[in-house]
Parts: sequence; C-alpha cells; structure tokens
Amino acid sequence: MSSATVGAVFVALGAAAALVGIGVVAFGLLGIHQRWWRDARWLAFATLGFSALSIIWMERALITRDFTVEFVAQHGSHQTSSIFNIATMWSALEGSILLWTFILCGYLVAVVVKFKDRHADAMLGFALLTLFFVTAFFFLLMVGPSAPFQSFDPPVGYDGPGPNPLLQSHILMAFHPPILYLGYVGFTVPFAFAIGALATGRVGEGWLLATRRWTVMAWGFLTLGIILGAWWSYETLGWGGYWAWDPVENASFLPWLTGTAFIHSVMVQERRGMLRVWNLSLVIATFALTILGTFITRSGVLESVHAFSNSAIGPMLLGFFGLIVLVSLVLIGWRGDQLRAPGRMDSPVSREGAFLANNVLFAAFAFVVLLGTIFPLIVEAVDGRTISVGNPYFERMTMPIGFTLLFLMAIAPILPWRKASSGVLGDRLIWPAWLGVGAIVLAVLVGARGWAPLLAFGLGGFAGGAALRQVVLATRRQGWRGLVGRTNGGMIVHVGVVLIAVAFAASNAYVHQSEFNLAPGETASIAGHTITYEGLSFREFANRTETRATVRVDGGQVYEPGIAVYTASGQVVGIASVRSTAFDDVALSIEQFPNDGTDRAVVRVTVQPLIVWLWVGGLIMAVGTLLAVLPGKRRQPTAPVSAPAVPDRVEVPA
Amino acid sequence: MSETPASDRPRLALWIVIPVGVVFAAFLVLLATRDVNETGLPEFTLGGDVAPEITGITIEGEPFDLDDLRGQFVVVNFFQTTCPPCVQEHPELVSFHETYAPDGIASVISIAFNEDPAIIAEFFDTAGGDWPVLGDDTAALAVEYGVVSVPESILIAPSGEVMSKVIGGVTHPGLEGLINRWQEDNS
Amino acid sequence: MTRRVASWLAVAMIGAAAFVYGAVDEGEPRTDSDRAYAISNTIGCPVCQGQSVVESNAPIAKSIRETIALRIDAGWTDAQIRAELRDSYGEDVDYTPSSEGITILVWILPVVAFAGAVAGLVVVFRKWKREGDLEASAADRKLVEAARALADED
Repeated sequence: MSSATVGAVFVALGAAAALVGIGVVAFGLLGIHQRWWRDARWLAFATLGFSALSIIWMERALITRDFTVEFVAQHGSHQTSSIFNIATMWSALEGSILLWTFILCGYLVAVVVKFKDRHADAMLGFALLTLFFVTAFFFLLMVGPSAPFQSFDPPVGYDGPGPNPLLQSHILMAFHPPILYLGYVGFTVPFAFAIGALATGRVGEGWLLATRRWTVMAWGFLTLGIILGAWWSYETLGWGGYWAWDPVENASFLPWLTGTAFIHSVMVQERRGMLRVWNLSLVIATFALTILGTFITRSGVLESVHAFSNSAIGPMLLGFFGLIVLVSLVLIGWRGDQLRAPGRMDSPVSREGAFLANNVLFAAFAFVVLLGTIFPLIVEAVDGRTISVGNPYFERMTMPIGFTLLFLMAIAPILPWRKASSGVLGDRLIWPAWLGVGAIVLAVLVGARGWAPLLAFGLGGFAGGAALRQVVLATRRQGWRGLVGRTNGGMIVHVGVVLIAVAFAASNAYVHQSEFNLAPGETASIAGHTITYEGLSFREFANRTETRATVRVDGGQVYEPGIAVYTASGQVVGIASVRSTAFDDVALSIEQFPNDGTDRAVVRVTVQPLIVWLWVGGLIMAVGTLLAVLPGKRRQPTAPVSAPAVPDRVEVPA
Repeated sequence: MSETPASDRPRLALWIVIPVGVVFAAFLVLLATRDVNETGLPEFTLGGDVAPEITGITIEGEPFDLDDLRGQFVVVNFFQTTCPPCVQEHPELVSFHETYAPDGIASVISIAFNEDPAIIAEFFDTAGGDWPVLGDDTAALAVEYGVVSVPESILIAPSGEVMSKVIGGVTHPGLEGLINRWQEDNS
Repeated sequence: MTRRVASWLAVAMIGAAAFVYGAVDEGEPRTDSDRAYAISNTIGCPVCQGQSVVESNAPIAKSIRETIALRIDAGWTDAQIRAELRDSYGEDVDYTPSSEGITILVWILPVVAFAGAVAGLVVVFRKWKREGDLEASAADRKLVEAARALADED
C-alpha cells in the first residue's frame, strides 16, 4: 500500500467515525439508542485518534521527503530546514485543513471529557451533535476536494519546490497559523452549546457558565494569532506596516470583534439575566464568521495576498456557512421570543449600560469591517464598476469607534452595577484622568502634534489608568489572587489593549518612509536617524542565494536587509531587518540592487514610533487571558433582586 | 407575577430574523455568483484619447519628441531586458520596424521599465533594433500609458490617437493585423 | 469648592490646554516624502492582489511610487495625483471609495445603522423608566439559587 493510500485511509476512518458519531448522538436524542453516550465518547476519541494519525503520517512524509505523497511533492523539499519543514504542513491548503480538523477533534474530545457527568442533559447531546457535524464536515472536505493524501509518482532524483518562500523567512510563520486555528476552531464549542440551548429551549445561564472559559481561551488564541500575524508581516514583508485591512486580515478580525462583544455582554447575562438572545446571536455570528473567513481565505473570491490559490473547497465552505446561518436563524426565530428575558436596566450609566454600549460599538465596528470588505463585490454586482475599499475607509470609519471604546474602557470598570452616582465616579476616575492628562502633556512635550493621536494618548492613559487602578486595588486586597480570575485578568487584558491602541495611533500618525539610492559609504538621514550603507555581501544556501546590504544605523549596530532568490522557483523575496527600541523602530529593506556594475543599493527606511509596544501589548493580552481563565476569588453571585429571569424554565444542573 | 406568558409576548425575534435572513440570502447569492477566475488586470482606459506626450533624451543622446512621428503609426513598446517575453518579441519588432520605418509608414519606440540605460544600450547592440529608446525617468511614462507590467505595447495612429494596447509579446503579423483592421475601420 | 471639584477642574484645564496646543501647533512641516508615503499607502498596486504600492515590490508599484514623488516635486496636489492614477488604472487603484453613485452607501450605511441602534436603545430605556421597577418573584429567587449552585460547582 502506498503511503498516500495509508494517509487517505486514516482520513476516511476519521470521517466515518464522525459520521457515525452524528448518527449515534441523533439516535440517542431521539431516545432510540439508550447507551449513546458511551459510543459517542469512543467515537470522539476515534476522530481525534485518526486525525492525529493523519497528521503524524503527513509529518512523517514531510520529514522523510516522501514525494509519493502529492502534497509533499508540491510543497516539500530536501532544501527546507527542519523547523519549516514541519510547518510546511500548514503552509498550503490541504495541510491547513488537516491541522484545523485535528484541533477540532481535540476540542471535541475535551468537551466529552469535561462534561462526562452531564451526559443525561439533552443540551449536551445537541452540542455534541453539532460538534460531530462540524467535525464530519471538515473530514469530508479532506475526503473530497481538499484531499491531503494523493499519490504522486516522482521521477528519479525529484525534489519539490518547498513551501512558499515568504512563509519560510521567519520563525513566527511556524506558530501563527496553529495559534490562529486554536482560536478559530475554539469558537466551535460555544457555538455548539448555543445550538444546544436553542434546540432544547433551555437557555438559562447554564450553558454560559459551562462554556465561558472555552470562549475566553479561544478568544485569547485568536488575539495572539492575529498579533503574531501582524508581527510576522512587519518583520518580513519590509514595507514598514503590520496591518493593511486586507480581506483576509479582516476575516480574522471579524470573529475577534464579535467574540470580544460576547465576552463582555455575557457578564450582563450572568449578573442580570438579560441579553440572552443577543448573546446567542453573537456566539453564532462569531462561529459563522470564522467559517466565512475560511471561505474568503480559501476561495479567491476577494483579492488578497494571503489567499490560498483558488480551490474547489470554496463552494463547500460557502454552503456550510449558509447552512449554519440558516439553521441558527430558524432556531432563533422559533425559540428567540420564548428565551427573551423580561429584565430591564435601571440606568444607562451603570455597568450593564456600559456593556451594552460596548456591544453597540463592537457591533458597529464589525459592521464597518464586514461592509468595507465585501462592498466591492456589491458594487460590482449592482453596477459593474470595480472599486476598492481600503485603509483610508477603515481608518476613518473605525477611528471614532476606537476613541469611544477607549473612553468606555476607562469608565466601565469602575461603574457599579445597576446605577451609578456622580460622586462615586468622580472619586474613582480622578487618578485615571490625571494619567490621561499626563499622557497628553508628555506627548506634547516630546513633540507629538495633531488632535487624533493626542486624543488617542489621552484616552489611552485614562483607560490604562482605570485598568491599573483595578489591578492595584485587587492586589492590595487579595495579594497575588488579585491578578487572577476573570475580572482581574480582564483588566490586565485592558492594559494590553491600551498599549496596542496607543502604539497603533502613534505609529500611524508619525510614520516616515523614504527610499535612498546609496553608494557604499554614503549616509542618508531620516526622522532624526542616520543610515550608512557600507557594502554588499553574498551568501549561498541550499535553497536560496542571498544578497545582503550592510547598513549601519545611527553609527552603531549593523543591520543586513537584503534579497533572497529561491533556486527552485526563481522567486525573489525581500529580507527585512528592523532596529527596535522602546521609542521607535527603524525598519530597513532593500528595494533593489541596481545592476549597473556598481555596488549601489536602494534602501527603503521606515521610521515609526512605539512599534514594540504593539507586541508587548499583544503579549500582555495573552497573559491577561491566561490569568482570566484561572479560577479567581469566588464572588457572591447575583443578588436575587437584580436578576429577574424567565421563571417558567428553571435550570436544574444535572 | 408581572410578566406576560411566553406565548403572548411580541414576536420580536421572528420579526428581526426574517429581514436578517433576507439580507443574508442576498449576501450568499453575491458570494456564490462571484466569478473567481477574473484576471484582475485593470481595463485600458486610454483608447481613443490623444497619446500622452513623450519627450526626452534617447540612450544614444538624441532628443526625442513623439509629435515628430505624427503621420505614421507608432508602436510604443515598454520592456525590460530581463523579461523573457520581451527578449522573445524583440526580433519581431526589429522585423516590423525594418519593413515599415524606411517608408515612414510605421515605427517603433522603446521605453525601458525600471532599468539602467547602460544595460539597455548593450542589449540593443547585440539584439539589433535601430529606433529611439528612452531609458531615463520613464516611471511617469509607464503610469501615463497605464502600463502594468512588461512587455506592453501601445499602438498610436497617424492622427496621434491611441488605438489599442497589446499586453505581452507582439509579433510582426500581429501588429500588421491591428494596423490593417484600424485602417479598414477608419476608411 | 470641594477638593474633588478642584482636582477635576485642574485636570480639565491642564488637559484642554495641552490638547489644544498640540492640536493647533503644526509642529515640524510635512516633508515631501511623508506626503508621497501618505498617497502611496492609499493607492493599490494594479497587478498585485490587494497590496498597496507601498507594500508591493512589483516593478509597476515602484514606478507608481516614483511617479508620485515626481508629481509632488512638480507641484501637483494630492487630488490631481490621485485623479491621474485613477485615469490610468481605473477607479479601483484608489483605496478611498468615492462618494459617487452607489459607492456613497459604504460611508452612509454604518452611520445610519449606528444611529438606528442608538435611537432604539434610547426608546427602550425611556420605556423601562416609565414602567418602573420589577419585583423579584419567588420563582426568580429559585432560579438564582439554582444558578448560584451551578456557579459554585463550576
């Protein structure tokens, strides 16, 4: 049996296990199969086992350069270094679906293990049904249009081209996709429970408590994945940017926005029993948007540098996306009114009021990003014009939303539930306000000008101060426990968000970029930095030839941006080089080496302030998320009077 | 109990779901009917316009002005010596030019795209071709002529009006065909 | 005047003064290369799949960057430079959607939707205020007990 066939058998067995899983759970829910739980459990383990075997088999083929597997023949190479060789799996479509499925099976098993004591609950049954269904779909993608294991007959001495050179150029690329997938796929679990809640009509707050940590973890991975992607783009592409509002970037950002809205509004439901249908809709929207994003990335329907080449899985993903949304809409239409809580808010100036405002803003944010992303399609369909909607649109439209969110971040954490008095606010907000003003004064003193960045710094200081105030108070009261738990971890996440917002505003407002055509020994200056070009060097590698310029920045350290030519494909890839400090970054890339017989080089220099704080902020967000899912100090739950809820369907935990 | 039974509540969710569903269905149709195999090349908008002026110093140091060629067909060829189709089409241009230029019917001019004049001069020395070549400061010309990559050739009529653009390599018979068709259409 | 009010007044005054100074004072003049970057960053490369001419390394992207710098030297306005590029390569090289025809919807729809949402919330809050408070019933209390038990177990 050829090795491609072995892999295909693993995939087929996984698909079979997932399909049987659907049947078993369905019969169990119908009451036909009494002992469904035991079978479903084993089937869940089986899907994980077979997807793990598929992955191991693929990695084996990649590591041993087994070119009889077509995927390896197309994307592997003897010349690829070992770490990138492993990462080759998720550098192309089929392998990325393989990884996606494996992670999905991991979540499926985690649900089965975690909720083993609650299997009598029909809601868990429906959730498992949904999970098996999604798993089966992804396995079927691999059986059909996106088969990773197809056989290939390599000629003697065959060597593949290796993965896309852009993806081999930085170690971050090995981590960005798996982490992003952990986030994307993680939202399947809350989605499954949302469907379970709708199908059983037992909305209660139980499913929320059950999936809260899963959602927060998925959100954390998604955050980290997006930040790593931006970092990779900044470090390797050499154009000095990190976020381009490209359709695929937007596709990853959309579920992040709705997910962020959800993890805030879920607190209103827990405390006050309100916003149930809204929360269900957010969870469903988040999951649906991950599938939509996968479709956009993999169908070539929108132009993007990130897009995988056109493939046959586009229609299947679109169909799946349609099915998810259709089923969800029908369920919400059917059950929605029954689930609605009659609760009400006492005052808009309260914690729940702030969460509501947060949700309106995040929904508006998501709407702007979605509309801008797909608008060219709409215009083309309606009147045949081709237009672009790019960064000027997104920046102009989201800036006011961003400012308002920062303001909300400052006041929301200190607002009490139900109703706030101005005295309380005045006392609690004064120190954050001083911090905000301090940020403006400092920025003006170091030369920052313009209303937009200054407003961002001021609001950033205000919001950061409010978050820090909460952290300081909590640690003073509870010691180290003041850092863990949802509220405290959440405040640490806020600090990270503030850093990113401030760095984003500063780097966008005060970017300087120039190209210099320099002969060896010549110096150019830009934005207070001097760039000295010292000469050329050549390096031969197994799979590429590098031409690097030696560039001294500010008379100190030497950096070596250059150009790599990959032997197999002839593809030319820039090698960027960045000098980072806490204050600003000098990013260097080589535009070209003029082939006029001299050693001249055209060096592109981008100077941007505070870039490093984007990555620091991202790291703080990740750490904060981790702290947030650790069990914190248990609070007394809701006082009865603040939680009017549907009385006719009391949730009794199984 | 201050609350209405579930059945009597307004069917709010339903009334929201229906329009959302309609919008969503339209969205799906939009995505499903999108042709993903479009080339994505920008359309050529210059046809019929007066050709943007081209003046400058050729790589041989002669002054050049496109207006001096008014009255004959002109092939404005954007090229790069490192691009294989450009090298491939070169003999065709040479043969076309040699056939028509002596009688003042048609001629070729070349505009280098992102390349050093010294290298271009060397290329013309070996590959032949005796027509004006502009090598310096050609970036703006490429933009004015809507060039996206090389080779691209823009045909200009004797009146000075832009006829059409050929993306990719040209051939001698191909250029003749374009000129004949234009003459038929305009006689 | 209490200390709190005084403190807030000081915050407001210092903040406003610094902000207004920083917003009005123009600081260092914008260089030509800053201007060129700002335009290039919002012009798409005609052949490279959703990259701006700043991002792209395609020869034509480079030519367009050069051309933008040339035009700035020659004293063209930003609008003139954009118009030339739209003429040469079509409307879709300009990343800023125009406000002509149906395209204007992309600017208006979010504003309308947001205003609608805010108006809806205002109406709901008014209604709630009019109707007054709810009293918790025995069933409510029971529900909360159940939730509390579940939370403790979690």
